[in-house]
Amino acid sequence: MNSEETLSYFINKSNELIEKDFSKKIKIALLSSFTINGLKEILQVKSAELNISASVYESSYNQYSQEMLNKNSNLYKFKPDIVFLIIDSRTIFDELYHFPFSKSIEQKEFFINEKISELKNLIDFFTNQSNTMMVLSNLNIPTTSSYGISELKFDYSLSEMVQKFNTKLISHYKKSEKIGILNFNSFISKFGEDNVFDPRQYFFGDIRISMNFLPSFGQELMKFIISFLGLTKKCLILDLDNTLWGGIVGEDGFNGIKLGPEPPGNTFMEFQKTLLSLNQRGIILAINSKNNFDDGIQIIREHPYMILKENHFSSIQINWHDKVSNIKEIAKELNLGLDSFVFLDDDKVNREFVKSVLPEVSVPKLPDDSSLYSKFLLNMIEFSHLKITEEDKQRAKMYTQQKMRSELQNSTPDLKAFLKKLNLKIKIKQVDSFSLPRVSQLILKTNQFNLTTKRYKESEINNMMNDPNFFVGCVNVEDKFGDNGITGVFIIKKESKQIWNIDTLLLSCRIMGRDIEKGIFIYIVNKAKKENVEQIKSQFIPTQKNKPIEDFLPNSNFKKQDDYWVYMIKSILSYPEYLELEI
Amino acid sequence: MSEKLYEIISKVMNVPISSLDDSMGPENIENWTSFNGYVLLHELESGFDVKFSINEAMDVITITDIKRHLKNKGISFD
Repeated sequence: MNSEETLSYFINKSNELIEKDFSKKIKIALLSSFTINGLKEILQVKSAELNISASVYESSYNQYSQEMLNKNSNLYKFKPDIVFLIIDSRTIFDELYHFPFSKSIEQKEFFINEKISELKNLIDFFTNQSNTMMVLSNLNIPTTSSYGISELKFDYSLSEMVQKFNTKLISHYKKSEKIGILNFNSFISKFGEDNVFDPRQYFFGDIRISMNFLPSFGQELMKFIISFLGLTKKCLILDLDNTLWGGIVGEDGFNGIKLGPEPPGNTFMEFQKTLLSLNQRGIILAINSKNNFDDGIQIIREHPYMILKENHFSSIQINWHDKVSNIKEIAKELNLGLDSFVFLDDDKVNREFVKSVLPEVSVPKLPDDSSLYSKFLLNMIEFSHLKITEEDKQRAKMYTQQKMRSELQNSTPDLKAFLKKLNLKIKIKQVDSFSLPRVSQLILKTNQFNLTTKRYKESEINNMMNDPNFFVGCVNVEDKFGDNGITGVFIIKKESKQIWNIDTLLLSCRIMGRDIEKGIFIYIVNKAKKENVEQIKSQFIPTQKNKPIEDFLPNSNFKKQDDYWVYMIKSILSYPEYLELEI
Repeated sequence: MSEKLYEIISKVMNVPISSLDDSMGPENIENWTSFNGYVLLHELESGFDVKFSINEAMDVITITDIKRHLKNKGISFD
């Protein structure tokens, strides 16, 4: 552990943050059954490193139940965006933790069900009252007990009781939109119970995560915070030499690079397997390498131990341009903002160059030892997702299809002809519980083609869905190359019988430039006309990133009136011939 | 070694080194809360590569006590 990761570093550093005020803000509440002093400062400093202002509330010592049940408590007054409830097996099992022989199997089963029920009631009460996202820890499975080596031979031994508790609790909340699960047990396993739990600190101050490991624990919490704020990265840009394989292809040649079942080639195979797994989960991969194109691509296409194939990369830049120019090119090709990218390169000079010119790109330091690459990748917080939607899993494939679309566009003389060849089909539906997670994700993350950039929490969208004064619609876009999934969202606020307000209208960047917004606009106008609405109004709220939608309202014949753009409805509109609409 | 000890105390308690002397402790250093007391022990353990038992930890009333325990672990303050 270097000095920058000690608890006192975070405590001191947090004092310097008082004056800092970032545009991204979050209110975090920490509830725990034991002492977690210092975690507040860790989260504040780690958030500030990501340009987030975090204000953190800590519940009084072991008062989490009282605070959650009292609607006038300081916890409710704080109005957190996200709440972490951190409890451990000592707390839940209490006397049974020390005396597992003191009860019969039936009594133990009853005990577990009772405890689960108590906790569920507590959580449900709080989340219903506060409408706040809650992250709940599972329980650590103790590694020692009075059962000794016969622990696993007993039904309802201590470890089995904790396992049963965890399984029941998690299965209850698996599909809940409001509850995330923090794998506290995995955290303890990762670092070891004997390290994380320091008996001296425990007996001295009821500290159950020792000070050495509290910063690492804070890092686990940051994964949830990043995802909650929609800051998860989309694309991983990779160098080739000494990153995807060992050695330098231009010098060592096709047969000389290190990639294969023998060490150290096996470390790179392992790394590629982890990358492929992330790609299957929806993380887009791209290449940025200074090499002769033919040398690099030959390895990718022909090397027998390459796990990643050409079709796994949505953009390939192998050339002698500088790394910054290539990243800009990748961003252009994928139509993604620079803050969507993580860049991995073994070369320090390249990393520093990218960091200094493109501060929006995340540039972590790859470990010096390639045997650590894979673990490093899996521990990164940048790709944390509270949940992985079907669209996420398809995303990488969709971006590869995007490459094919670009090729078609380049070979077609004008936009209309290109759109016609695409066989575009858009399906517009009212958002339901199945589409809600994806819609929420788009509302939190879409920057470029976003008319008002209003960020709503999932619970708020859910409220609008159930409010007759709102219509929350989602748009699925298909074309001859594949299904893009849900890539558009709009929210109409029915202000009166005569006036509708387009509160939100956004499209994912991967379907921009295909007149989908035209289709949505016509859909809204025709729907309004059928309900005898006279005018539709909306606002364009400019941000640093939403220039692409700047002209949408004037181009759709909205006229500026004070703070709003207004469209007077006259007649039903027809869809362009290249757009097929399904409702 | 006194200098190193004072540096650690100053950093954890957020007070200038010049304001410290061996007779001081939780009674007269405002930031020396029970929690900062734990942090201090933790920092001393890392800084001097030693371990304090819980009895030693409970026995710290002034900086002199810290020096005594560190001396018992072979750290010299001469």
